[in-house]
Amino acid sequence: MRLRIAYTKIEDARYIAHLDLTRVFERAIRRAEIKMSYTEGFNPRPKISFGFALAVGTEGEREYVDIDLLHDMDLGEVLARIQEQLPPGIRLLQGRALDPGAKSLMAVLNAATYKIRVPMALPIQSERLQEAVSAWLAREHVTFSRYTKKGPTDKDIRPWIKQLSAEIQGDVILFDLEVEMGNAGSVRPEEVLASLRELENLPLDIEAAHVRRTGVHVTYEGGKSSPI
Amino acid sequence: MSKITAAEIRRQVERFLPKVLKPSRYIGSEWNAIKKDWDKTEVQMVFAFPDVYEVGMSHLGTRILYHLVNSFPEFLCERVFAPWIDMEKELREKEIPLYALESFQPLKAFDVIGFTLQYEMSFTNILNMLDLAGIPMRAEDRGPEDPWIIAGGPCAYNPEPLVGFIDFFLIGESEEQLPEVLRLVAEQKKNPVLRQDFLKKVAQVQGVYVPDFYHVTYKPDGRIEKIEAEAGVPPVVEKAIVKDLDQAFFPTNPVVPYLEIVHDRMMLEVMRGCSRGCRFCQAGMIYRPVRERSAETLLKQTEELVRSTGYDEIALTSLSSGDYSCIQPVIHNILEQHGAQGVGVSLPSLRVDSFDVELAETVQKARKSGLTFAPEAGSQRLRNVINKGVEEKNLLDAAEAAFQKGWSTIKLYFMVGLPTETQEDIDGIIDLAKKVANLGTKLGRRNIKVTISTSIFVPKSHTPFQWEPQESGASVDLKQRYLRDKLRDRRLNYNYHDVKTSYLEAVFAKGDRRLAPLLEWAVQHGCRFDGWGEQFKYSVWMEGLQELGIDPQFYANRTMDYDDILPWNHIGSGVNPQFLVEEHHRALQEAKTIDCRYADCTGCGVCPSRGVQIELKG
Repeated sequence: MRLRIAYTKIEDARYIAHLDLTRVFERAIRRAEIKMSYTEGFNPRPKISFGFALAVGTEGEREYVDIDLLHDMDLGEVLARIQEQLPPGIRLLQGRALDPGAKSLMAVLNAATYKIRVPMALPIQSERLQEAVSAWLAREHVTFSRYTKKGPTDKDIRPWIKQLSAEIQGDVILFDLEVEMGNAGSVRPEEVLASLRELENLPLDIEAAHVRRTGVHVTYEGGKSSPI
Repeated sequence: MSKITAAEIRRQVERFLPKVLKPSRYIGSEWNAIKKDWDKTEVQMVFAFPDVYEVGMSHLGTRILYHLVNSFPEFLCERVFAPWIDMEKELREKEIPLYALESFQPLKAFDVIGFTLQYEMSFTNILNMLDLAGIPMRAEDRGPEDPWIIAGGPCAYNPEPLVGFIDFFLIGESEEQLPEVLRLVAEQKKNPVLRQDFLKKVAQVQGVYVPDFYHVTYKPDGRIEKIEAEAGVPPVVEKAIVKDLDQAFFPTNPVVPYLEIVHDRMMLEVMRGCSRGCRFCQAGMIYRPVRERSAETLLKQTEELVRSTGYDEIALTSLSSGDYSCIQPVIHNILEQHGAQGVGVSLPSLRVDSFDVELAETVQKARKSGLTFAPEAGSQRLRNVINKGVEEKNLLDAAEAAFQKGWSTIKLYFMVGLPTETQEDIDGIIDLAKKVANLGTKLGRRNIKVTISTSIFVPKSHTPFQWEPQESGASVDLKQRYLRDKLRDRRLNYNYHDVKTSYLEAVFAKGDRRLAPLLEWAVQHGCRFDGWGEQFKYSVWMEGLQELGIDPQFYANRTMDYDDILPWNHIGSGVNPQFLVEEHHRALQEAKTIDCRYADCTGCGVCPSRGVQIELKG
C-alpha cells in the first residue's frame, strides 16, 4: 500500500535536517508496529520519499511524504497510529492511498509558497516598500552570489520568482512569495530577502526573519493544486 | 549574563540556530526526552557530557544515569553537551549562557552539574563549559548560589588534575550512589549547612571523593611525599559497585536522537566488567568483578527497547561481549522474536579468541563494515607481556573463516610503545598484516582490504602498567614511519594515532593536582576539543607548560617506583595494589595470567574485599 501524507514540520521539528527526516518517520512507523516495504539489495532501506527539502529552521505548514507499507490497512488507523509516535511539531494533516502507477512527489511538485515575517532595521513607509518590490520585480535578471563549498557562484534568481508581494504590519514586513521548484534548483526565500536588501536598499533584519513554507504545489497552466 | 530566563534564551538561540552546524544538537525535544516540571521536583541536576552531542548520546552510562535520576519523582535530570566551535562563538558573541537541552534553563539555575570523565582530552571542555555557563571554574570562587560541580566516570580514578574545579567526585558505578548524593543535596536545600559540613556528609557515601579533605605534600624532587586524609573521611575512597546487575536499573525508553549519532542504535548491556586481565587496560581492572545479566532480563529489555525506540539495530555491549556466557542463545532469541520487524544485532567488541565466524554471520553490523580484530601486539612474546591471550593461529583461523564466508574487509588493531617492545615486535605487526592479506588472496577473495590501526600506549592508573613510562614521542614517531613504509601494499591500509595528543593524554592520565593550573591556562588560551585532531593546539599546550614551569616528561615519561606514592593512591578500584605489582612482575617475565572466568581465582582481591562475586549466567 502506497501512502501519500500531508504533514506539518513546525516548532522544534523545523530544526530536523531533511536527511534525518527519513529516520524520524521510519522509527515512528516501527514504533507504531506498522510494517514497511523495503528496497531490494545489500542494504535494504524502507521506502519513504519526500518532496523538495525544506531548509533547516524553516517551518513547513503542509509538506508531503510517500510511504510504502507492506500490507493494506485502514487509512484512518494508519494515520492515527503513526501520529501517536511522531515528535512534537510533526502533525499529520491528510492522507491518501496512491494508485500503483502514481508519480513520485519529486516528479509532480513544482512550486512552493512562503510567508515571511522580517523586522525592519529602520522604519519605512508603505509606498517606499511597494516601490522597492515593484522595482525588484521589474528587473529581468537578478544576480545573486551564492556561497558554496567551491566558493561564490553567481546565479540569476529572477526566473524562479512567480509572485512576490509585501505589506507593513507594525514594525515587521510580511512577504508573500511563490517560487518555482524543479530538478534544476530553485531560490531560497532568504536569498530573495538578501537581494531586496542589497539591490533596493530595503532595511531588513534578515537574521531575525521567520520563514514559513505554506505549501508545496503542483502547478499546471496557471492552476495550483495539491499532490494529494 | 546575570538573570536570564529560559524563554529569553530560547528566543535568542532560535535567531541563529539555523545557521550553526547540526541545529538538532541543541534542542531537547527528541523522542523519549524527559521534560519535567521544575517546581514539582526537589533537586534539579544537569548531566554534562564534555564532548559533542553525537559522542555524548552514544555513551551508555550517560543514558543510564539520565533515565535513572528521572525515574525518581523528586529529582529532575536534563542534558547538556559541549557546544561545537560555531555554536560557542554565537553564544559568546550574544552573551547567552550555556543552557540545558530540555528546558533551556541556564546551567547556573541547576543544583548539580554532573560531568562524565570518559577521556583525559576532554578536560578542557569541562572548564570551558563552566565558563560558558557563567560559573567560576575554581570551586573557591563559587558561592552557595552556584551549583555543585561533580564528576564521575573512568577518568575519575585519577581525578587529581581536576582538583580545584570539581567539588566532589563519584568513584565507581553510580546507580545507587548518585541518588544517595542527590538526597543529601535535597536535604541541603531545605536545611542548608556550611559547605564544609555538607561535603563531610557527602564524603560518607560509598565512593565519594571530596578532594578538599585530602592534602598532598611533595618531596624536593617533585615526587609525592604523602597524601593525608582529614579525620572523618576514608583514607582510601573505595569505588561504588552494583552488586546485582541483573536487577539494576536499565533504561528501556532511551532518547532517540534526530541526527545520526556515533552509535545510532539500541544498546543492551549484557554484562559489566571483564576478567581477561589485559595489563594495559584500565576498564578491565576498574569494572571488576564480571557480572552478567540473565538472558530473560535481556530479552525482556529488548522487547521494550524495540517498542519504545523504533530502532532497527541492537548492540550487545560490554567490554567483551563475545565472552558473555549466553551470547548465542540471546542473539538467536532476539533474531527469532524481532528479525521479522527488521531488527538486526551488532556486537561492537568481538575478540579474536572468543570470535566465532558463525556468530558474526548472524550479526548485521559486521556484515556491513567488515570484521575487527584486536591482537594489540605483533608478536606472541609481547602479547604474553600484555596478557592478551590471542595466538597467531587464532587470528589466522578466524581470518580464514571470515574470508571463506565472504568478508573482504578486516581491521586489525595494535598498540605501539608497549613496555618491553623491540624492533621484532614492530616487524611482527607487518608480518601479521601480510599473512592475513595473503590468506585472503590465496582464498581467491578480490578487493581485499586489511586496515591496520596503531594507537600509542598510554599508561593508565590502576593497571599493572601504571608505573611504566610512555615511550618518547620521537621514538614512537620513528616506529610509525617505519610501519607506514613497510605497509605499502594495495591491500593494506595503515592508520595511526597522533603522537602529540597521546603524549598529553599520558601527562593527564598520570598527572597530579599540580596540573590544574595548566588546564585553566590552556582553556583561557583557547584549548578545547583537544581530542579532535584539527582543534588540538599542541603549541599552546607547550607554551603553557613552559610558562607554568611544568615538566611534562616528569609525568609521561618517568618510570615510577613501586614504593612511590602515586597521585591516585587514595582512590581504590577494589583491586589489591599488591596484585598489580605481581601482574607487573609477571608481565616482565612474559607470563600469562588466566582469566578467572574459566580458571581459578587470580587473587585480584575485588571479590573478598567488597563482598561481591563474579556472576555468570550461562
